[in-house]
Amino acid sequence: MSKRTLGSLLVGVLIGLAAGIYLGWVQFPVEYTNSSMQALAPRYQEEYTVMVSEGYLVDRDVNAALQRLAPLEKQNTPGYIQDLTERYISQSNFPAIPSMVALAEAMGRLTPLMEVYRVPVAPTPTTPGAQ
Amino acid sequence: MERGGITRPGVAWIGLLLGLAAGVGLGLFYTWQVDPVIELNTAPWQLNATAREDYVIAIALSYAQNRDLTLAFDRLRAVAPDRNVWQVVADIACARHKSVQIASNSDVVVMRALEQLYSPQGARGCADGQYPTPAPAVFMTPTLTITPATPLQPPATKTPASDPAIPTATPEMIPTSPPTDDRFILARVESYCDPAQEGLLEVRIFDARGQGLRGVPVQVSWGGGQRDQFFTGLKPGREPGYADFQMERGRSYQVSIPGLVSDPRSLEATTCQAGAGGQMATVTASYRVNFQQQAN
Repeated sequence: MSKRTLGSLLVGVLIGLAAGIYLGWVQFPVEYTNSSMQALAPRYQEEYTVMVSEGYLVDRDVNAALQRLAPLEKQNTPGYIQDLTERYISQSNFPAIPSMVALAEAMGRLTPLMEVYRVPVAPTPTTPGAQ
Repeated sequence: MERGGITRPGVAWIGLLLGLAAGVGLGLFYTWQVDPVIELNTAPWQLNATAREDYVIAIALSYAQNRDLTLAFDRLRAVAPDRNVWQVVADIACARHKSVQIASNSDVVVMRALEQLYSPQGARGCADGQYPTPAPAVFMTPTLTITPATPLQPPATKTPASDPAIPTATPEMIPTSPPTDDRFILARVESYCDPAQEGLLEVRIFDARGQGLRGVPVQVSWGGGQRDQFFTGLKPGREPGYADFQMERGRSYQVSIPGLVSDPRSLEATTCQAGAGGQMATVTASYRVNFQQQAN
């Protein structure tokens, strides 16, 4: 192999490597299609949390809500609910506030900031096996 | 180029192309296999099957609360952008119906929320109609209809008791309306005093043959437009058609189930006197309420 060919090969490798890295990281990055809830983008995690809190208003089952939030794998779920609720209040995200406050209250995380947004709690029916 | 023994700088095109191909291959191998992009900002459609099911259930529960179909559709489209989103919900409901043991009120609420979301949009699945939606609650002005029984007259040969008889409410049979298909009537309302079960509202639902019916939603409403719902057959150790609800003293309650053709009755959680440990105590009255399916 002549020096000229070898030089062209090396230049080609360098240019190709740069192009390959650009394509692999920027243009066509790996797309994951079997992800866990924990890997969801923050905005979707928060949307999921709000949906769970709205579900809590439907069934008033705080244990079920905790089970639904478990896949997010937050270290402290009640603390996460409290933080998110207070952030929504500070951002005046009104559609999400009542249900989030209700869930925070059910988890024992009702803070003075949330008091004004409380949802009246109805008496709970006797749960199976609780009597 | 080389002419007459003189070497000039130039490009060997074959070498360059081979180098490019090898370089691109190495670059892609490194970025896809060795050091891929860190997984961030995952969208719902990238979730695995379990997480996707959790997400869809959350969407259905949210819809059950806010009734915003457009919002639910947008959220579902983020989960399954290339599929009929309503059929996705129906399929998940079907899978849960087949594989998951429906063990709690919350499980039943989830199944109903899923069906309420997909069924009106024309999707169909094996869970159709398995978890019926309760009929709308009927709110009526409470009317107290419990009548104290007439004290029994002692036999002439016995000495009358010095203590006055304590009035107690009597079981009352409710007149039935003409039979219609798959309808229920309020068959019995009975109050009782029990210190061990204060303010307990016991509901039993029977089919036309007198067998208890499991999984029937029971709706209880009380003052201020408040209401709650629970299901029969979820109480361990009790009969299939049984469910109960804890009342609060002083409130007036109404019980209703889907397909109830007789008028709802108002039940007052009043006080009554009951013997406990040799002494009379004031406790909250309890009720037994039976619903009976009418024969076709």
